[in-house]
Amino acid sequence: MEQAVRMSERMTEAQIIEACKAGDRDAFHALFEQYKDRVYSIAYHFSNDQAMAHDVTQQVFLKLFTVIAQFRHDAGFATWLYRIVANCCTDEQRRRRRFVPFSPQLEVKTMTTGGGQENAYQRRQLAASVRAAISELSPKLRLPILLKYVEGLSYEEIAAALNCSIGTVSSRLNRGHKQLATKLEHLRGEIIGSE
Amino acid sequence: MFTEHVVKELSAYCNGELSGDQSRLVAAHLLKCERCNREYERIRLGVRLAEQLPQVAAPAEMWSDIEALLDARDRQPAVKARTGTWFPYGRPLQWATATALVLLIGVGSFMIYRRLRTTPVPIAEPEPTTCMAWPVTSLAGAPRIDGHRIKATGCFEIGELLETDDTARVNIDIPQIGEVEIAPNSRVRLVTTNQNEHRMALERGKLHALITAPPRLFFVDTPSAEAIDLGCEYTLAVDDAGIGLLHVTLGWVMLVRDGRESYVPVDAMCETRPGVGPGTPFFEDASDAFKAALSRYDFENGGEAALRAVLQEARDRDTLTLWHLLQRVDEPTRAVVLNRMIALVGQPRCVTRKGILKLDREMLDCWKDALDLVWF
Repeated sequence: MEQAVRMSERMTEAQIIEACKAGDRDAFHALFEQYKDRVYSIAYHFSNDQAMAHDVTQQVFLKLFTVIAQFRHDAGFATWLYRIVANCCTDEQRRRRRFVPFSPQLEVKTMTTGGGQENAYQRRQLAASVRAAISELSPKLRLPILLKYVEGLSYEEIAAALNCSIGTVSSRLNRGHKQLATKLEHLRGEIIGSE
Repeated sequence: MFTEHVVKELSAYCNGELSGDQSRLVAAHLLKCERCNREYERIRLGVRLAEQLPQVAAPAEMWSDIEALLDARDRQPAVKARTGTWFPYGRPLQWATATALVLLIGVGSFMIYRRLRTTPVPIAEPEPTTCMAWPVTSLAGAPRIDGHRIKATGCFEIGELLETDDTARVNIDIPQIGEVEIAPNSRVRLVTTNQNEHRMALERGKLHALITAPPRLFFVDTPSAEAIDLGCEYTLAVDDAGIGLLHVTLGWVMLVRDGRESYVPVDAMCETRPGVGPGTPFFEDASDAFKAALSRYDFENGGEAALRAVLQEARDRDTLTLWHLLQRVDEPTRAVVLNRMIALVGQPRCVTRKGILKLDREMLDCWKDALDLVWF
């Protein structure tokens, strides 16, 4: 872990990627440390299931290790990685949905800080409600929302990651926002009131 | 711009994705349009809700799990060998079997060697160290590219024809796209490969594709349809008459010909025929009666009787087929298909009867999205 952190500090991402291509396990560890929370967050909010998020994150990095030699720097690395994440999420969900219903999760370690205990509890409850509602959207609507709000990507970056047009991203976000609002209309007071 | 309602721009407006001028126009429109204002409030709530999602920390032990899996993979031999159980010492019958096999292989090899000596076969030049197109690996038999037998590995270039006889199999590695295995008795041509499009033509035979690239980058032409990868794994077969059969085992594939489209998801199949194009997709676990009636309807002018049988045999999951049929029948018949779909799975809020009968694209797509939960 410390070695991976030191490597991230002294090398640029491009150098780390090149080292990964040469099969350097420490470089891959450094890359993992850099992206693990982003990948896990998307997988977790996508599935609302910690076990699936764990499996998807593992699959993503195993796949990344296998195919990183094919990365050519003509697209941003993060965009390229998000494509793998999106594919792994949808594939894993298809595989699981036939057998196991998703179950809501109770407690997760979030990276949000600040505020009193009560506020933190309310925020977790709210996030859990939103996550549950998002996991009921179709995957097509779910992924643009997660890339926008969990990863903070622009429409252009989302379009590149999902290999679709900016217009499609805009239209899917429109539909996603509306469906989310319909499902959680009862939280309007809590959300708008806190502004 | 924005002389009409601005509903479609509202998410981009809330997310700050519009230019300054566009934002001002939307804001001005919102001041005077009650309908758009209502939509704005709804979308704004959706935006605020989505903003509540935090980034979540991955479990601390995850790297050690991944490293263990990588180590395990490194330890695996390149070719899986079954050791210790098949030919253990002290089992004379199995030793005898092994000896017979060795003899058979020896005699077979000698016969093949003699045949090759008497029938000269052009051998491809040694492959260049770097293949600018698609590297291929022979898995069995004697595959050929443009008539030249390839050795263990070769290079499949644009315009070339790859052929396998009844024993040959080939693996094609498409950089950054995935892998395709060509089965015996197949003919495939590499049509094009570039950053935006990787296309091959399956003239006859069978291929199995495992595609890891983003959707709509890998295409296979067949005599009766074009298969467009939407992120998936599938098998595609074409017989001598040009009749094709697609079987998807992961993700989605789209079949297209002359404006006729079929979306084929995991566990589903679709037949294609010259002169007709892609038939209607169906799940492999549909009843035989359902499949037979669908085939009569698609390819044998089965008409109303065949369609009635399809509707009667349909289960919830077969709404995949019915959803496609909605777009392939005339409006009066569409109402009948629609009624059956509603009876089977109900109607989501995002569609109206009138909209579906008019084949409103957005409603059809929304219904398809909603049916995800029924189909998988």
